[in-house]
Amino acid sequence: MNKIQQLRRLNLPIMAALLGLLGLGVLFIYSAAFSVSDHGGMPLYQKQMAWIAFGFVCFFVFALTDYHALAKYAWLLYALGIVLLLLVFAPYIGVKMYGARRWIQLMGVRFLQPAEFMKIAFVILAVRLFGYPGRNVRRLRYVFLGVALTLLPVLLIMKQPDLGTALIFFPVLLAVMFTAGVPGRVILCFVAAGLLAVMLVAAFVLVPPRLGMEEQEHRRLLGGIGISAYQRERIMVFFDSGRDPLGSGWNKAQSQIAVGSGGLLGKGFMRGTQNILGFLPRTVTPTDFVFSVIAEETGFAGAMLVLLLFGLLLYGMLRSAFLAADKMGMLLCAGLMTMLFCHIFINMAMTIGLMPITGIPLPFLSYGGTFMVTSMCALGITQSVHIRGDWR
Amino acid sequence: MTLIQITDREKTRLIVLALIVLSGLGLLGLAIWFIQLGQGHFYRASQEQQSVRRVRLPAIRGKIFDRNGVCMADNHPDYGIAIYLEELRRSDKRKQTSQKAWALIRQLALVLDLEPQTSLKQINAHLYSRKALPLLAWRHIGPGTMARFAENQMEFPAADITFDARRVYPQGAAASHLIGYVDSVKTAEDETEQYHYYLPDLEGKRGVEKIYNKQLAGTAGGRLVRIDASGYKHDEESLLSPVPGTDLRLSIDLRIQKAAENAVADTSGAVVLLDVLSGDVIAMASSPAYDPNVLSSAMSTATWQAIISDERKPLFNRAVSGLYPPGSTFKPLVALAALIQGKAGADTFFFCDGCYELGGRTFSCYHGEAHGRVDLVSALELSCNVFFFQLGLQCGYDAIYHSAMAAGFGEKTGIDLDGEASGFLPSKAWKRQARGAPWCDGDTCNVSVGQGDLLVTPLQMAVFTATIANGGRLFRPRLATGLRPYGQKDFEPIPPVLERDLHWPAAQLALVREGMRRVIGEPSGTGHLAALPDVVMAGKTGTAEFGRKGSRQNHSWMIIFAPYENPKYAVAMVVDEGVSGGISVAPRLRRLMEEVFSAEGAEG
Repeated sequence: MNKIQQLRRLNLPIMAALLGLLGLGVLFIYSAAFSVSDHGGMPLYQKQMAWIAFGFVCFFVFALTDYHALAKYAWLLYALGIVLLLLVFAPYIGVKMYGARRWIQLMGVRFLQPAEFMKIAFVILAVRLFGYPGRNVRRLRYVFLGVALTLLPVLLIMKQPDLGTALIFFPVLLAVMFTAGVPGRVILCFVAAGLLAVMLVAAFVLVPPRLGMEEQEHRRLLGGIGISAYQRERIMVFFDSGRDPLGSGWNKAQSQIAVGSGGLLGKGFMRGTQNILGFLPRTVTPTDFVFSVIAEETGFAGAMLVLLLFGLLLYGMLRSAFLAADKMGMLLCAGLMTMLFCHIFINMAMTIGLMPITGIPLPFLSYGGTFMVTSMCALGITQSVHIRGDWR
Repeated sequence: MTLIQITDREKTRLIVLALIVLSGLGLLGLAIWFIQLGQGHFYRASQEQQSVRRVRLPAIRGKIFDRNGVCMADNHPDYGIAIYLEELRRSDKRKQTSQKAWALIRQLALVLDLEPQTSLKQINAHLYSRKALPLLAWRHIGPGTMARFAENQMEFPAADITFDARRVYPQGAAASHLIGYVDSVKTAEDETEQYHYYLPDLEGKRGVEKIYNKQLAGTAGGRLVRIDASGYKHDEESLLSPVPGTDLRLSIDLRIQKAAENAVADTSGAVVLLDVLSGDVIAMASSPAYDPNVLSSAMSTATWQAIISDERKPLFNRAVSGLYPPGSTFKPLVALAALIQGKAGADTFFFCDGCYELGGRTFSCYHGEAHGRVDLVSALELSCNVFFFQLGLQCGYDAIYHSAMAAGFGEKTGIDLDGEASGFLPSKAWKRQARGAPWCDGDTCNVSVGQGDLLVTPLQMAVFTATIANGGRLFRPRLATGLRPYGQKDFEPIPPVLERDLHWPAAQLALVREGMRRVIGEPSGTGHLAALPDVVMAGKTGTAEFGRKGSRQNHSWMIIFAPYENPKYAVAMVVDEGVSGGISVAPRLRRLMEEVFSAEGAEG
């Protein structure tokens, strides 16, 4: 198969959904960043278009590369990811912004979020672990190895701190193990453990103040189990929407108002009052709350269009998984699909108040260079599987 | 690399994964449906609540004109310099913005050569509570300042000229007691909830400005100001334009009003001139007066203190609020009461030797003058007390009381002015209750010459005079004769109100009128000093004593209606301190009536 023949076998639902989402994304980043006075630099939507262009390059490189080659270098990619995650903490190279070390800079230019790169490397390694020929995935050693290999990047990312991103890794691992055929009881144990962890955290955050524990004391207790003060606030705000409306409760309340006031058809492009008047936090609206802007300005109709495009995208990825030529291809598609789905679900649920506020971006819509390239790579790999899939 | 085939078990699991994804997206869809369509109204309300401020815009007040269309109350633009804070803001920090505004104000102060009228503290307060509105840095700026500002405006993009309506009384102190004045009100209780920002309205505090405040005020409008998350103005849209107030036409004639004011300007007192055929107040003056312009604009505390602590009470409208014993000007009423009851006639006479003994007390004529044998007409002409003591006793107090009540004594006339006093007409029952003593003949004698407990206002006397002049029809005196709602070309006339027809028999009334004619027309009449060469007038003087025995002072009265044959005007004047009505008031009224008829001649 030459390159042209390969490109004829691209997964079309994915391509259609991708183009639709990218178009919407640029449009509403333009709207969301319009009122932000730029400091002479390139407007945000133009930067996003540049990243999209670069993302397409990566997309085609991965689409035209046999995905088995990736599996071959899985360990190398993973090790590279860990090194990059460590570099975040290195002086001069790691950059601290908004109280978190998420970026690596080179010559003073921020250019990479290692955690984003790690998402791809991690999926590839998980697939290698559970999809490599000759593996009996029923044996628990692979499960334990998988958990250990997940915990390493998770802990590093939590150290940044970026709890939201760190928590993406578990459902991805779970999805890969599940599709790979790891026994149901093991999976159930994982799900139960996850639910228990969530309940424990919620209990630790919510119960002591009810019992009259001092705030200082409570913070120290939570600090002991790795929950910082602002995470505590976000969780408390999630359970009590009236809490601190001008402080930590602001983003949640304003995002809900933005979505809720959109109505059926929205307020019109660039006419979203929550957006234009700055009630949505200006600094993070193009990244974390771009869906709020879309929902406010295009209403229920626009929100459903976004949901349908994502549905089409995920459908395309699942179809690629079904039609994959081998188990490794199927697992790759399933893992990457789960990775994107987690982002979509967490981000959208957060903007409408179904989940606590986390800095998880919305694939293809949110502004963000590294994540755009990561998402495009994910689709490129999926296309690589599809092109080489077992179908005519 | 060997390929591993995908097993059915793995495909089943893939389907389960697909179902989980589908249900996740379905959950999101349901949640969005609920929040956008189910609870949309709630979020829209929250959104509006936090980003929209309603500003109430006061309406331009209606103007007030005299009967000839001369403007008595007008609105002038009051220019100011406003600072638009949203232009100054660089960061969300309030402190920096207020510093910037303060720096700008000081800079402007240098360029415009003005003292800052705003303090840093006020700027901070404004940023705290009224951030969406411009900050008014200077009010009441003059044309020179405006010109200097216009020259330098390019340097100050955050500042601009604004204007406000200021109430102006072009005629100054003329008719000040009638027009009243306005002041700004901060809140109107029933309306404030609708608006976040309430620009103050002007509200009439006295006079017709107060009585017709509702019509003059117009209907306030509103404006929506959209604010951003920091509370600064983003843009604004008009919600409702204010509707200017209704113009008011008064019955007064400015030229005659000024003549009336001049007539009492050198003393303290009051004069009321009515149109006898409608009750229209053509002039009403109270002295001393005040300039309403001083009270309406930014008045200093010292000015206000000076006005309210003035012993001569310039704010007090003596014409409607002043209470005086009417003295002899009440005698026509006593004469009428006796005539109507048939207790007296043209041939009734009494003998006057200057004083009258009753129950050990002596009641005397003015200066103890003895008038000899007097009949009713000459008793009026000469103002003989002794005649009226006896006439009153012969008539009986009940008849006097009922006639006086019918003629409107002891009750408000109902004029469209604030602060009207009702006067006091003593009754037998009142005396028993208040004094614990029965009504005695001495009381009847006192009231018969307008003394004792009887109190009237100058307006009541003018109305009574007009009623005699027009044959017994009691009109309610009034100031407003027309209203012109905004946008209309002509005034809608307000019809005069006839309170009641007293049905005074013409023959008897003629006797009283003849007596009153002689007061002025005969050289022996007490009011002869009021006589004009070419107009026959009728009237009655009065000198009422007040104060304790030993330090008694006189209120000097005179009432006039004219011309005698076809009366048009009725006038009552009182001067707080004077020798007597005939000496202190009659010359003043002559000058006033001269003016009235010459003005009439000029018109005709």
